[in-house]
Amino acid sequence: MSERFPADGRAAVDSTASGPGRVLVAVYGIFALAAGARAAVQLSTRFDEAPLAYLLSALAAVVYVVATVGLARGGRTGRRTALVAITVELIGVLVVGTLSLADPAAFPDETVWSAYGRGYFFVPLVLPVLGLWLLRSRAGGGLRSRGDRDR
Amino acid sequence: MPGALLVTPLLVGAITVVALLLAALGAATTVVGRRIGLVHVAGAGLLELLLLLQAGIAAAAMAGGTRPADTPTFVSYLIGVLLVPVAGVLWARTERTRWAGTVIAVAALVVAVMAWRLQQLWEATGV
Repeated sequence: MSERFPADGRAAVDSTASGPGRVLVAVYGIFALAAGARAAVQLSTRFDEAPLAYLLSALAAVVYVVATVGLARGGRTGRRTALVAITVELIGVLVVGTLSLADPAAFPDETVWSAYGRGYFFVPLVLPVLGLWLLRSRAGGGLRSRGDRDR
Repeated sequence: MPGALLVTPLLVGAITVVALLLAALGAATTVVGRRIGLVHVAGAGLLELLLLLQAGIAAAAMAGGTRPADTPTFVSYLIGVLLVPVAGVLWARTERTRWAGTVIAVAALVVAVMAWRLQQLWEATGV
C-alpha cells in the first residue's frame, strides 16, 4: 500500500485518522476497550448463563478493534478493512438490537448492541453511520492534502 | 461501615466536575479552531490523579473485605478508566488540527460516564 504509493499513501493514511476522523477513531477505540472488557468479564465469569449474548459481545469487540485499526492505519487496505468491519457493525447493531427487543429471553444479559446500544446512549447505533460517512467522504479524497477542509 | 466512605460521593463529584470542565474546554478549543495546549494536558493529568486516588481507595476497601456485587465488572471499570485520559492525551497530542480538542472532550466525557457507572456498581455492594 503506502510502499507502492508513497505520496498518495501519506495523504490517504491521514485522511481517516486526522481531523474529524481522529475523533471517530478515538470513539472506536473506546468501544473496542469497552466491548473487549465486557466480553472478557462475561466469558470468563459466567459464560454458561447466556452463551449467545456473550459470544455476540466478543464478536462486537473484535469488530470494534478491526474498525479502529483500519481507520487508524488508513490507506487503501485500512479503509477497505474498516469498511467491512463497519458494515458488519451496522448489521450487528440492527439485528441484535431488534432481536433483543423482540425476544428478550434470548438476551438475558446486556451486550453492547442490546436495544440498539441503549446502555451506551445509542452511540453504537450512530457510530457505524458516521464511520461509513467518513469512509465515503474520504474515498475520493485520498489525494487531497490533509485538513484542507478541517483546519 | 468503612465501605460506605470508600469510593466516596465527594471524589466521584470531583472527578465528574473536572471531567466536565475538561470536556467543555476541549469542545471550546475545537469551536474556536485552536490546537490543544498545556492546559488540556494539565487537566487530563489532574483527572488521572483523581482516578488513581479512587483506584487506590477502592483497592484498599476491597482488600478490607468490602466487595461490590459484580466485582469483575467493577474492577474492569476501575482499571479501564485509568487508561482513558492517558490514551486521550496521546491520541490528541499528535493531531495538529482543531479536532484534537474534541478528542480530549470525548475522553473526558467517557471518564465522567465511567465514574458514574463505578459509583452505581459500588453502591450495589454484595456484603
